[in-house]
Amino acid sequence: MKKYILFIAIFAAAVFSACNKDFLDTRPTNAVPDDQVFNTVDNAETALTGIWAYMFETYFTFAVPGIKSLDLTSDAMGSDVALTTSYGFRDSYTFNEMSDNTKNRVSAYWTILYKTIDNCNNFLSKIDQVPGDDAKRKLLKGQASALRGWCYLTLAEFYSFGVTNDPSAKSVPIYTDPANPATPGKARSTVTQVYAQAITDLQAAVPLLADYSRSSTQKFKIDGNVANGLLARAYLYSNQPAKAIAAAVAARNGYPLMSGDDYNKGFNDVGNPEWIWGQPQTPSQNVAASTFNFLDVSTPVAYYKSYKADPWFQGYFDSTDVRFRLFQWSTSGPGALLYKKFRFRDPGGMVSDIVLMRSAEMYLIEAEAHARNNNAAKAAEVLNVLRTARNSHLFNGGGSVTDTILLERRKELWGEGFSLVDIIRTGGTVVRKPFKSYTGADSIINVPQPDGSIVKVRGVGHRTLKLPDGSAFVKNSNYYLFAIPISELQNNPNINN
Amino acid sequence: MILLLLGPLAAFSQVRTVTGTVLSGKDKEPLPGATIVIKGTTKGVLTGPNGSFRLEVTDPAATTLVIRYVGMTSQEVPISTTPLTITLQSAGKNIDEIVVIAYGTAKKSSYTGSVSQIKGAELENRQVSSVTKALQGLAPGVQSASQSGQPGSDATIRIRGVGSINASADPLYVVDGVPYGGNINAINPYDIESISVLKDAASSALYGSRGANGVIIITTKKGKAKGSNIDVRVSQGFSKRAVKDYDRMSVDQYFPMYWRALFNEGLANGNDSISSARDASQNLVGELGINPYGSAFPQPVGTDGKLVAGAKPLWNDDWSKAMQRTGHRTEANVAISGATDKTRYLISGGYLDDQGIYLGSGFKRYTVRSNFDIDARKWLKVGFNLSAAHSDQQAPPSEDSRSDNYVNYGRLMGPMYPVYQRDPNTGSYLLDAKGNKIFDFGDYRPDPANPRTNLVQTSGIDKHDVTRDDVSGRFYAEATLYKGLKFKTSYNADYSTRIKHDYTNPTLGFDAEVGGTVLKGNYRTFSWTFNNLLTYENTFNEKHHLNVLLGQEAYKFKYTYLEGSKSGFSVPGIDEPSDAALIGGFEGYSDNYRQNSYLGRAEYDYAGKYFFSTSLRRDGSSRFAPNRRWGTFWSVGASWKMTEETFLKNTSWLNLLTLRASYGGQGNDNLGTDRYYNYLPLYSVNSNLGLGGTFREFLFNEKLKWETNLNLNVGVDWSMFDNRFGGSAEFFVRKSQDLLYSRPKPPSIGYGSVDENVGALKNTGIELSLHGTPIRTTNFSWNIDLNMTHYRNKVTSLPQNEIISGTKKLMVGKSIYDFYIRQWAGVNPNTGVAQWKYTNPDGSIKDTSNYSKASLYYSGSSLPDLYGGLTNTFAYKNFSLSFLIVYSIGGKVLDNDYTFLMGLGGSAGRAWSTEVLNAWTPTNRNTDVPQVNTVAASWTGTSTRFLYDATYARLKSVNLSYTLPKTLMERAHLNNIMVYVQGENLFTLYGHKGMDPEQTVGGTTYYRYPAVKSLSAGINLSF
Repeated sequence: MKKYILFIAIFAAAVFSACNKDFLDTRPTNAVPDDQVFNTVDNAETALTGIWAYMFETYFTFAVPGIKSLDLTSDAMGSDVALTTSYGFRDSYTFNEMSDNTKNRVSAYWTILYKTIDNCNNFLSKIDQVPGDDAKRKLLKGQASALRGWCYLTLAEFYSFGVTNDPSAKSVPIYTDPANPATPGKARSTVTQVYAQAITDLQAAVPLLADYSRSSTQKFKIDGNVANGLLARAYLYSNQPAKAIAAAVAARNGYPLMSGDDYNKGFNDVGNPEWIWGQPQTPSQNVAASTFNFLDVSTPVAYYKSYKADPWFQGYFDSTDVRFRLFQWSTSGPGALLYKKFRFRDPGGMVSDIVLMRSAEMYLIEAEAHARNNNAAKAAEVLNVLRTARNSHLFNGGGSVTDTILLERRKELWGEGFSLVDIIRTGGTVVRKPFKSYTGADSIINVPQPDGSIVKVRGVGHRTLKLPDGSAFVKNSNYYLFAIPISELQNNPNINN
Repeated sequence: MILLLLGPLAAFSQVRTVTGTVLSGKDKEPLPGATIVIKGTTKGVLTGPNGSFRLEVTDPAATTLVIRYVGMTSQEVPISTTPLTITLQSAGKNIDEIVVIAYGTAKKSSYTGSVSQIKGAELENRQVSSVTKALQGLAPGVQSASQSGQPGSDATIRIRGVGSINASADPLYVVDGVPYGGNINAINPYDIESISVLKDAASSALYGSRGANGVIIITTKKGKAKGSNIDVRVSQGFSKRAVKDYDRMSVDQYFPMYWRALFNEGLANGNDSISSARDASQNLVGELGINPYGSAFPQPVGTDGKLVAGAKPLWNDDWSKAMQRTGHRTEANVAISGATDKTRYLISGGYLDDQGIYLGSGFKRYTVRSNFDIDARKWLKVGFNLSAAHSDQQAPPSEDSRSDNYVNYGRLMGPMYPVYQRDPNTGSYLLDAKGNKIFDFGDYRPDPANPRTNLVQTSGIDKHDVTRDDVSGRFYAEATLYKGLKFKTSYNADYSTRIKHDYTNPTLGFDAEVGGTVLKGNYRTFSWTFNNLLTYENTFNEKHHLNVLLGQEAYKFKYTYLEGSKSGFSVPGIDEPSDAALIGGFEGYSDNYRQNSYLGRAEYDYAGKYFFSTSLRRDGSSRFAPNRRWGTFWSVGASWKMTEETFLKNTSWLNLLTLRASYGGQGNDNLGTDRYYNYLPLYSVNSNLGLGGTFREFLFNEKLKWETNLNLNVGVDWSMFDNRFGGSAEFFVRKSQDLLYSRPKPPSIGYGSVDENVGALKNTGIELSLHGTPIRTTNFSWNIDLNMTHYRNKVTSLPQNEIISGTKKLMVGKSIYDFYIRQWAGVNPNTGVAQWKYTNPDGSIKDTSNYSKASLYYSGSSLPDLYGGLTNTFAYKNFSLSFLIVYSIGGKVLDNDYTFLMGLGGSAGRAWSTEVLNAWTPTNRNTDVPQVNTVAASWTGTSTRFLYDATYARLKSVNLSYTLPKTLMERAHLNNIMVYVQGENLFTLYGHKGMDPEQTVGGTTYYRYPAVKSLSAGINLSF
């Protein structure tokens, strides 16, 4: 009899455990169903914080540490950075990377920008139904809208030539609704349409953010100044200079130009009075800061130190210019010209804050907008505000004011991501000259040392002086544009419709 | 007339009594428990403890006795009244063996399913740390890819191809009857009694969803014989790299070649050849950072591109060699086993120290196991099986594209960089105050040559430790409720925890600038399976045999992840997170997965001739939405033992002929270890500067459901000439449908893929295994086992025309193993640039030097045409020699490792393959290597240029053993002493030099730890 009791007991236990209805319901611990995100406005805010962190703090490879590395790509493909052959951006520099649709970097930026766009689309489609404080809802809508606008603005900059070249050039597809598994890929819109989408989003954001005042430690948050700054860029790049002026002025409001000393502090501190927008970094959150491994050429901890300056670039500065002090010839290894603009703030923690927008750029946008609006006097006046702050000689009409402003952008914004943007939108060309004496011999530089002695350095400049096919750099070369990744071409039958 | 007929009957009607002894052929030991049966009847007896028997034969017509013993070739002898001495020879593979199958055992000769069994003795001939590595070549249909030689690593096992594209294709491991959730390398191969590989539906469908990729059943040793027995096995060995690494340039080859790359850079930038040559000569030493020719030759390469007269390198260092050593391996095992009237037990302990051939790598393992079975009551049996393993693995980065990959580091370092600091003028070593050589950290080295590092030194300081603890318990109770009706309940738990400890020191090498780094992680898995089985077995009317099983099973799995990293050590010499200053990251989460199942099986056979089986199982999985959670899996099978039919029964040369077939469906829900909840609309959690964040990382799909596998198996088994020759041939079709697949999406919608059930594919193949004993005399025997497998994989349905993923493209009619990559079109003889093929819209095919413009083409398959193994065993008196050759014919490997050595000069200081010496020049136009040029576009992107034939044959293992004579041992009070030498991977035949031919099933390399060859000697004692 005992055995039957035992049998019944075990069988009952088994049936009880197996028939428990919840047994098969499991939940993740590092993700939440969307109804737990969009249940209050406060929780919904995490969806903006989260996508922002994704954009900046995701390694695709060590050479693609988040969206900030797009700025480095832009400068690698310009005229003023003489990149070394170190790991990272060397193939962008030789124009072998961004035109090649099979490259990881090509698909990385596409992925980051469009994932952010869909997260914004999803957010905007849901936020109106979420219970909570309306003021906060308004602000979050503004931030989501501006973030999407920034993504479309970035896409408009790199995937086709500028609107002045061909306003109906095919750029990238536009999505404004959240995706589901059945969402088809869309066709490329024109560059004009993509800029228009960016402007629409940013215009929508500005009034929504009007009442918002962020904490000074949270400069990564999009506020009215940031939205206006992005709008100023979008207007200028899409050749609507008149509208860019007011936006640029509004953007820099409250952010005075930094002192000469601050300019020499390494561009690593979001507390800089001139920074309107930036991503702070900490020892435990420093993916974006790893761009300094390339940009920082003087701190030992920087791993690649590949962003050397073109020696010709030094010649654009007055010796009194606060920016000029940052140049130094390297006396070890190949004779490279270091431009020590970017330096790790905390080398032990590999920490440096990341700059995204500062008022100097807004002055330059304003100046260029006046120039393009045929108001040379006003343009020169605004330009000279910046030149005064940098202790450089004032512009007084020698040469084209527009060209002077474009050169000033290269000087002021070196390493901040504007090189290729300016070349594409103005229909310009990359300029790379060998660093040789007029006889064709090597340029030997005498570098004075602290002890008064002189070290002779054989100056090294640009390594790549031609396009990959061996032809010279020209205006509107297809090599300047970013390719659409092969995964998009293979999976989106509509892309070229 | 009647008398005439009855006469003989009457004459024979008295009872004949047969007596005798059964002995084993090898050592002439009595065999207790051998069966002696009158041929054609079921009447028989077992031999007693001393091997003797006594049988009374009443049937006057009976003429022959059949003597059988497990693991021996059965024998037939004529009935005689004089005492018989029957000597049974051991069979290489007994066709009549008992095989372990799902929830039970079966006789292989009549089983309806497809099972291959590997005996523990076959594993003992191998010197492997993981069971998975021992499976190669021993069973048809099993593909074992030992892509890594890192001690303690596992091989990838695929059974009958890959039935799934994204979902897991790993087989289910079952240990002592229950699915195993621990680490497979926590199982000491010495503890294994047998391994069964279940390949078709009839054998594995009872495991339902969990057995869709085949099942590997590991049965551990148990106590058998009465009394107690102690076995000791100790071995010592050495190991080296199995095949030579890629040939790389010497300093004298490197310098002129790099000069040429600089020269060509000058030309490409529009300079004339005179200034380009001058610049190249001037800049060469600066670009490479060092002058191994000494200061006497400040420009060692002249403007003619040749080494200047008299220039001799002062050193030529091989970093790859410096990163390696001769590995040392020690293994010791003890087992005590035995039985009393009501208990059977085995206790074993093992120790293994397997030192790797790369510096800083190795594996130490300590294992214990105890098996107890107790007959608690006449109707109740209980038992438990407890095992514990602790291992310390030193696993430096390999299988990783990191620059501190221990395998790549030495391989990629140019020979001009000294390992130890040298006098730049004389080349002699610089010594420190104590007279020791000083490691050179090379801050002068260019970036591709890893400046400020020296892994040869820091491998001894840094740590890449993995500590594992595994505890596994199997508890069961089996009650006989009624005649033939049994109830068995078992609770089975597997606990496995892994602690990773990566440490880089604060003073030297890669992370010195940040004061050293430490990462510590704990990854814990706990799973249990609780099952309750009711079985009924009976024979009706002597001829109808029925066996029914009904049961229920629940499975619960929990994975806990905890990982943190810090940097900035306060002082050198301490390496724990508490000793470092800055937190770099801290993450933790857990995953839960559950399954609930109901299962049943019925087996019926008629007169030992016709066998039928069917099974049914319903599984509910937590991976799917509630309305799609349950899947039903089933199988049917039949076999016909033709040799039991009258028309074959008396064929003396044919001992066995069985035909069998099975069909059934299984499921797969395993989307991967990070995809447990993909039916839910999830937001991933992250944070930004202390603020909580969530974001939509993946598209969800609430319609996900079970992937289904439909397996057809048809086979024939035969055995003849006194079982001296035999084999099995099988044909299988394995269809998978509703494949769980990450279907690519245009990334512009925000997501590169979505998990869906898409398409179908089919694996079709044949397997053949043959065994023979060509020679069998008293003193000498020779056994051969040969197996071969051929299979093809084909996509049979897709929701869209084509899906390109990685180096493969899915298309109906093609295989998921077909490479779909760019086609190499050679170097343009006029320009020296690399070219690939592309197809114009009009269909014409042209060459292009623009890699991204090149078209993708189908370019062969990674699947071998034929693979398998050949084992030869020779026994002469007390000597035994056996060797296993594994082979794989056909198939291709894409060698991406090699491309690192095939750059064109863009990576100054990186080692160069000697093949680059053949680079294009105006005078060497017909070549397969483009012109070197430091600013040239990379040409090493995936293309057929780096696709190589993967055919190989390898002497996987050799074992020579000698058993000491009985007389000697008796004097020493020992049962058995055997001494042996073993070799692994001693010889390899292959094509593409430098690459180990054993790579993944998918045919790609990934900077892996290469296979090792080893030689060891050992002794086996039994007393």
